[in-house]
Amino acid sequence: MWTLERPAPSRRAGLLANTPVALVSALGAGWAAAAGLAGLGWVTPSVLRAVAITAAHGGLLAIALEWGAAEGRTRLPRGAVLVTIALIGAGAAAAVVDPRGSVLLLTAPAWLALLTLRGSLTGLGLGPRVAWRPVLAGAALGGLLGAHLLLSASQTLGYALRGGATAVLLLWVYDVGANVISAECFFRGALFNRLQRRWSFAAAATVATTATLFRYVVDPMLPKQVEVMAGALFYLTVLSAVDCWLLWWSGSLLPGLAASWMFFLAYRTLAIG
Amino acid sequence: MRDIVALAVSVLAVGVLSSRDGVEAMSLLRYLYFVPVIVAALRFGVFGGGVTAAATVLLQTPWIFAAIERGGLTPAATERVVTCIALLLVGMLVGRLASYAQAQRRRWRLLLAVQRALSEDAPLEVAVGRLRACLAVRLDVDDVALVVRGDDRLAIAGGVCVAEDSLAAEVLATGRPRYVPDVGGGARPRRAYAAPLLVGGAPIGVLAVEREGEMAAAERAALSTLAAHCGLALENARLASRQRRFAEELAERIASATATKSAFVAVASHELRTPLTALLGFSELLAQRRFDAAEVRHMAELMQHETERLVRIVDDFLDLSRLERGLEPKLSRAAVKVAPAVAAAVEVFRRTGSHRLVVECDETLPAVDADADALDRILKNLVGNAMKYSPAGSDVHVAARGADRAVEFSVRDVGRGIPAEALPRVFEPYYRAPGVGSARGAGLGLAVVKSLIDAHGGSVRLESAPGSGTRVTFVLPAVS
Repeated sequence: MWTLERPAPSRRAGLLANTPVALVSALGAGWAAAAGLAGLGWVTPSVLRAVAITAAHGGLLAIALEWGAAEGRTRLPRGAVLVTIALIGAGAAAAVVDPRGSVLLLTAPAWLALLTLRGSLTGLGLGPRVAWRPVLAGAALGGLLGAHLLLSASQTLGYALRGGATAVLLLWVYDVGANVISAECFFRGALFNRLQRRWSFAAAATVATTATLFRYVVDPMLPKQVEVMAGALFYLTVLSAVDCWLLWWSGSLLPGLAASWMFFLAYRTLAIG
Repeated sequence: MRDIVALAVSVLAVGVLSSRDGVEAMSLLRYLYFVPVIVAALRFGVFGGGVTAAATVLLQTPWIFAAIERGGLTPAATERVVTCIALLLVGMLVGRLASYAQAQRRRWRLLLAVQRALSEDAPLEVAVGRLRACLAVRLDVDDVALVVRGDDRLAIAGGVCVAEDSLAAEVLATGRPRYVPDVGGGARPRRAYAAPLLVGGAPIGVLAVEREGEMAAAERAALSTLAAHCGLALENARLASRQRRFAEELAERIASATATKSAFVAVASHELRTPLTALLGFSELLAQRRFDAAEVRHMAELMQHETERLVRIVDDFLDLSRLERGLEPKLSRAAVKVAPAVAAAVEVFRRTGSHRLVVECDETLPAVDADADALDRILKNLVGNAMKYSPAGSDVHVAARGADRAVEFSVRDVGRGIPAEALPRVFEPYYRAPGVGSARGAGLGLAVVKSLIDAHGGSVRLESAPGSGTRVTFVLPAVS
């Protein structure tokens, strides 16, 4: 038994330990530079959007990977973080050329799946062995929440469904390849996981959920109508709490990913924004 | 699982009922919404109540918001909103109360189980093992261990050893509980908590638990209370066991003392009867028959000898009586010359001619500060014992020599000796070493000798080995 036979730990590492400050700063600087150039009219808004996607999601994933490696006491393959950012950037850039190019974003989760199979992401709750029941439970919960969103939005605000499966799928590809994967890896796999190993579940879930809400509130891609913002805050709060519970319950990030993918599929089905 | 499915169906039913709920106020149907929430709260506590209430509210919101969208915040819509708030409150409050009641019930049952686990007398290791088994079954944790300080080592249940720098060792040393939110290495955080088993504020052990998942502050406080209770229960069990052992020992001693006293009465009666029989016989002969002067003189000497023996026995009884009342023998101390005292004591026995008495005593030895009669009795007791337990014709050495402001006397024989296991008890009253055979005696001599020497502030020791004889050495203070 650990309590009897292993040395008691001294102080744990700080909450922000192992943050790749230089890399995140570089991404932030690139984004700021692109925004400045866009202000001067030298860069198109679509290019700025691609840079923003790369910087924001790439930055979140970079921090998540480094924190996860530290918590799981695993080693990432050399350049793994840069490859992840590059894949996100490639997908975002391809989408600038052609909306169908966003399919390239799926290479990022594929790369992360490869790292998962190598056992490099256990610190994020992504282990090589998958328990399917929690994943199905996550998908079911995400689906229920998505269905509620569809029902509520159509009943209350009168939103219609988006026409065309291709359009829905291309939007969802962004969620699968960048939006959900970066949010779940950082806010649940890295932040919540790090906090729950220091504090209680409630405290960790509250901080992770608040951070999630902040991330979406400042997201320029989220429609700014009051009812949409209020709805987003409500559903994202519930989704984040559910995802935190799923990770706490199962020890795996996959159920939360499944829940979020299902919810965002429902969200993309609505003709919002 | 069936409960969960039934609850899910009930919640969905609430959703369906809600979709059909009219806009009119005071729909009695809404009271039914509380049924699954209350059932879930009572069955699954605050988590079940909260989740079920949230689910029922979530299922109603599309219809409620649509109603508000259509007609504004009418009294009917307000009532439905209030119903939702009431559902949430009822779910949380009933759930919390149910969780609290369940936790309290579990705690009381656990305390009773702890008492039962320690109700039987058992060695510490066994008691700790039983207690740990009881806790492992009843505590909702993944692993539990108990460490308790024994007389000379730790009794550990639930682990192999206690490492020096471990959490348990730290708590055992400081007496303060310690919580580690994650011991590391697992997909889920594994919480560890170690609470001291306290008795009178001092740690006598540690209760350590580990669990994957939550371990709230209230639960840790309850574990600390449980640990304190376990400490007291273990200490009570230890004291009860000690008391039982003490009572058993006492009973054995009383039985032994009773047996010894009975044996003593028998021996003492015999010891008194022997000289009395001799006195009675000789006095009857003198009264009934005529003897010549030499025969009368011989009979008178025998009668005197038996009378002296009677006096010695009675003196021993009196001294022993004083000893048992915690009183020292009465002494009349003066400067007693050693050589004449030794010679006088030995002379009585020399006349019997049964043993060769060898006296080594320097005339120049300083006088001892002693009661002359007491010294005489000490020497006679020791020389008499030496002769009694050594073969006829063998040597008995009586010696005295000067020591540091004292005189050391020794009486040595070459008799059968005393077994090693009997040596610690030879100075106890009534005690007779095994294998003394038919040798006469009440087991009082050495006890009286020791009490007399102690009363002088001296010391006595006995060395003996079976087959090689016995040496008794005693020291009395010299006159300064």
